[in-house]
Amino acid sequence: MAIAIMLITGIAGAGIYVMKLRADNATLKANQFKLETAITEQNKVLEQQKKDFTAILESNKKLNVLINTFKKDLQDLDKRFTKKDRDIGKLAIDRTGAIERIINKGGKNAARCIELASGAEHTEAELKATLKSEINPECPALANPNFVEYQ
Amino acid sequence: MNKILAIAIMILLTGCSIGGEKRIKIFSVEEPRAKLDYPMPTALQLEELKWIIITSKNAEEVFAKLEEAGIDPVLFGLTDKDYQVLARNFAQIRQKLQETNNLLEEYKKYYEPKEKE
Repeated sequence: MAIAIMLITGIAGAGIYVMKLRADNATLKANQFKLETAITEQNKVLEQQKKDFTAILESNKKLNVLINTFKKDLQDLDKRFTKKDRDIGKLAIDRTGAIERIINKGGKNAARCIELASGAEHTEAELKATLKSEINPECPALANPNFVEYQ
Repeated sequence: MNKILAIAIMILLTGCSIGGEKRIKIFSVEEPRAKLDYPMPTALQLEELKWIIITSKNAEEVFAKLEEAGIDPVLFGLTDKDYQVLARNFAQIRQKLQETNNLLEEYKKYYEPKEKE
């Protein structure tokens, strides 16, 4: 009788143990799956972060170039008024008609620069301009992207 | 007899839960934020204006021409120095416009990239 009870208890214990092992195994498998998923997701996040970082750097570089162009444009504008001790007032007295034409042309060019800065499309002539005589001198970097200034 | 009945009722009540799904599964699905997708601002179309230079020498001639053309003989003047300031101010406004437009484009590119076709 005692042997029978021990045998039954033993079999029951073994059964419970096996069931526990199977449950543990299932838990471990689930954990493994979760870990693998997490690693894949982390890799994706890292890859995206890398891409974002490159995009940010590129964007910053572009804006810096733009701001440097602005400085140069303003300096060029000042130069046009003061180059070689130029006095635009005196010039206007001496050569009224010519200066009036120059100023009107400059005004037209400056207005075109504002249009382009607000997002207007370039004309074909603006895109094709590569010579100094063809460009918009008020904002060559903006108006004539194919013009390379002769150093 | 009572014991058998009690056991039968217990089995009846708990029968469906034995071996069945016991846990409620909660799924969380990430829904991407809707794109703002504003169109870029419409480009400006400026009207042309004409500058007239008046000096002490040509003032009478300029006003006479204006009257001839049926335009009120009145001009809003700037000195040569103020004209330079105006030109500089306009250049700065244009640059700010360009900078803002550029920033907007960069933000759009970064946060709302166009889907690859």
